[in-house]
Amino acid sequence: MTELLENASARPSAEPDEMALAGRPTSLVDLLDRLLVTGVVLSGDVTIALADVDLVTIKLRALITTVRGKDSA
Amino acid sequence: MTDSATYLYAITRPLDSRQLTTLKGIGGAPVRALADGGLQCLVSTVPLAEFGEEPLQHNLGDLQWLERTARAHDAVVRAAAEQVTTAPLRLATVCTDDDAALARLRELRDRAASLLDRLDGRIEWGVKVFAMSPADARSQPAAVGAGSGTDYLRVRREQAAERERASAAAGSQAESVYRELAGAAVAGRRHRPQDPQLSGRSEPMLLNAAFLVDRNRSAEFAALAGRLADDRGSIRVEVTGPWPPYSFAVLDQT
Repeated sequence: MTELLENASARPSAEPDEMALAGRPTSLVDLLDRLLVTGVVLSGDVTIALADVDLVTIKLRALITTVRGKDSA
Repeated sequence: MTDSATYLYAITRPLDSRQLTTLKGIGGAPVRALADGGLQCLVSTVPLAEFGEEPLQHNLGDLQWLERTARAHDAVVRAAAEQVTTAPLRLATVCTDDDAALARLRELRDRAASLLDRLDGRIEWGVKVFAMSPADARSQPAAVGAGSGTDYLRVRREQAAERERASAAAGSQAESVYRELAGAAVAGRRHRPQDPQLSGRSEPMLLNAAFLVDRNRSAEFAALAGRLADDRGSIRVEVTGPWPPYSFAVLDQT
């Protein structure tokens, strides 16, 4: 984490290839916390049921369990 | 009836079109900017076979598809956020075509503009707090004499009470972490704590928070988070970011 924080403190003067927001690996679950629950809701023409986030989460959880189970088998 | 649709990534302040030329979105499609009244919407073309209502419902349950799409969405949002103030849209916002997307942008223009004002010059940090596994569980040695049922029950009750005290203490420490960090941030927001199956850790997650922080106070905020991570015995603090301001890209209610 120290490295993370140092990068962050260097942020305002960062060179393009060191930019803090770009290219850093992030956890999929942390990303989905944001992409599925927050973000501007602009009702598209294709109205999908992301309002029903629980459903997605439950499906995802089942999938992750399956994936992990296979990995450790 | 066409076989493609317009996928929307983010609403942004005007972006130099040269900065878009190399930007690829979902499926490697080029990212385009639709402009209206001083705002832009970053979009790309996606196949309805994947993003129509029915296939989308199915695909959202497919972890690999979901990850691929989320990463592509995130890459576009991050690239934009490096250049201009950016309000990310929720994953899988799809319009029939560019005209429909522009119409939506127009409807939201004033609210989107004031959201961009709020996000201007700010980034997001994520802070997760986990309870540490109670190391002091062994402070109750198995001093129970054989055959002493009453003693056994007493010790078990005391251990349970101790676990409860430790959990309450960890909970209130997590709260104080939130309050301290919120004091150094423009805004804070709590996400639902992740289930151990999703977090990949056995310790319970007590706090899953996001903070909107001025870029020029970001180092200060990160240092504070680092100190909090060092200070607490019964909790573990994990910092992620900086993120584009996903958790704060929420329009005012009309």
